[in-house]
Amino acid sequence: MRFIPRQSSGNVNVTKTSAIREFLILAGSLLAIILILYLILGFVIEMVIPHLSPRLEQAMAVNLLPRIVGSETDEAKSRELQPLLDRLQEHCTKLPYHCTIKVSPSPQINALALPGGTILIFSGLLDRVASENELAFVLGHEMGHFAHRDHLRGLGRGLVFMAISTALFGPHSQINKLAARFLNLTELSFSRRQETSADHFALEVLHCAYGHVGGALTFFEKLAASEHSRYNKISFFSSHPLYPERLHELQAYSRQHGFGSGKLTPLPDDL
Amino acid sequence: MGDLVFFLILLGMGYGVGTWTEKRHYRSIMEREEQLLHLPAITAKKVELDNSKVERAVLVVGSAVISVDYFKRLLAGLRNIFGGTVKSYETLLDRARREALLRMKEKAHGASMIINVRIETSTIGKRAFKGKLGSIEAIAYGTAIKMNS
Amino acid sequence: MIITNIESIPGKKIVEHYGLVSGSTIRAKHIGRDFMAGLKNIVGGELKGYTELLQESRAQATQRMRTTAEQLGANAVINVRFSTSSVAQGAAELYVYGTAVRYE
Repeated sequence: MRFIPRQSSGNVNVTKTSAIREFLILAGSLLAIILILYLILGFVIEMVIPHLSPRLEQAMAVNLLPRIVGSETDEAKSRELQPLLDRLQEHCTKLPYHCTIKVSPSPQINALALPGGTILIFSGLLDRVASENELAFVLGHEMGHFAHRDHLRGLGRGLVFMAISTALFGPHSQINKLAARFLNLTELSFSRRQETSADHFALEVLHCAYGHVGGALTFFEKLAASEHSRYNKISFFSSHPLYPERLHELQAYSRQHGFGSGKLTPLPDDL
Repeated sequence: MGDLVFFLILLGMGYGVGTWTEKRHYRSIMEREEQLLHLPAITAKKVELDNSKVERAVLVVGSAVISVDYFKRLLAGLRNIFGGTVKSYETLLDRARREALLRMKEKAHGASMIINVRIETSTIGKRAFKGKLGSIEAIAYGTAIKMNS
Repeated sequence: MIITNIESIPGKKIVEHYGLVSGSTIRAKHIGRDFMAGLKNIVGGELKGYTELLQESRAQATQRMRTTAEQLGANAVINVRFSTSSVAQGAAELYVYGTAVRYE
């Protein structure tokens, strides 16, 4: 047979496609699917959480707590504040488990509600509290989180989401890390709503314990006017609503429910 | 945030440099294919040869290893979720094979044809063992027949 | 177009040849098929999804080779060989190549 050299035109083995367009379409669809799954997960968790028993939660807390709280807690201060918490809890709330308070000697101005009923208060916040009412507000706020099982919501969704994404992409994939970052931001924005309901709960507790809500408003006026202007940044990135917003909300709620102001009970001297 | 920026930089580099290298390679391949068009490389074994005129028959081998860039790998990963043709790897394999064939032809100096050509492809590299793509190796081999002029 | 994997076409005479032609496809299976395959690993049996996938791949690769051969003016491809390789996690590449010829 004769050989006739001929060239074929075009390359049949390579499809002419724009790589960038393909990338955008695929990545876009993937993000859309993840978003839908996330929303569905949210609904599922909303349905499951109320049925989670406090005993189970306490059992989980035994493993979680030592890692989160760390070894330094101010035991003496914690013991001093516990009676106040007990009083508030007994008379003014119907929480299904017993809350304990732990003070951590860190200068952060924050308080956390941890699984199992532990309220962690940082001494930075404690130093700024001027009266018992204000402290009661902070404690009431954290108890509000427990009452609404907020801490479980945040944890639950995040954990399940990471589990799915790890199953799909493997533990070390870049996509996983991206997902983790994106996850944190939106979790924070959900917890702002939770923060507001915890604020309302705290107001109710204050009103029940002292007959008025004077402490709450003065506390926030103080914090809002304080030198912590770094909290005035983009509110999406911080987990609590900005202080002026929060103050506004508290005032509105108080007006709505007829809570007034009154005499503040001073703190015990050594705090 | 730093991680994300780094990731995007790698992606951009992969896409930019990868596409440029690919175009350059294809140009070189098409040039050489035109030059070597006169030398047939076929898979057939039995060719009508005048046995007396054959000077020698020698095995010629050409091989090429082409690596995949970051952008292509990410695209393939996405494709793996949705299914379908992995278009980003097509160019890779195409280039590797054509390059291997050309190198085989270049080794056969003065031959009038190369018969019984076979082409094998495999993946090599550290990642290949984990199932991910490291690089693609293509090897083309055949018997080059040199005739007495 | 006649495609064979032997040296000649029975009953016909080959007059010209045009060199090597080839076709290739790379296909990936989607997550759903992965999952079903995982389940089948437990109970055993034919993985219909995969079988279909590979049949489609073969058909597409062969079609590509045929198109190239037609462009060159051939009407048969002889000495065809198939080669499969795994090129990426979850994706398999199917390659088919042969000699494009014209018979009479």
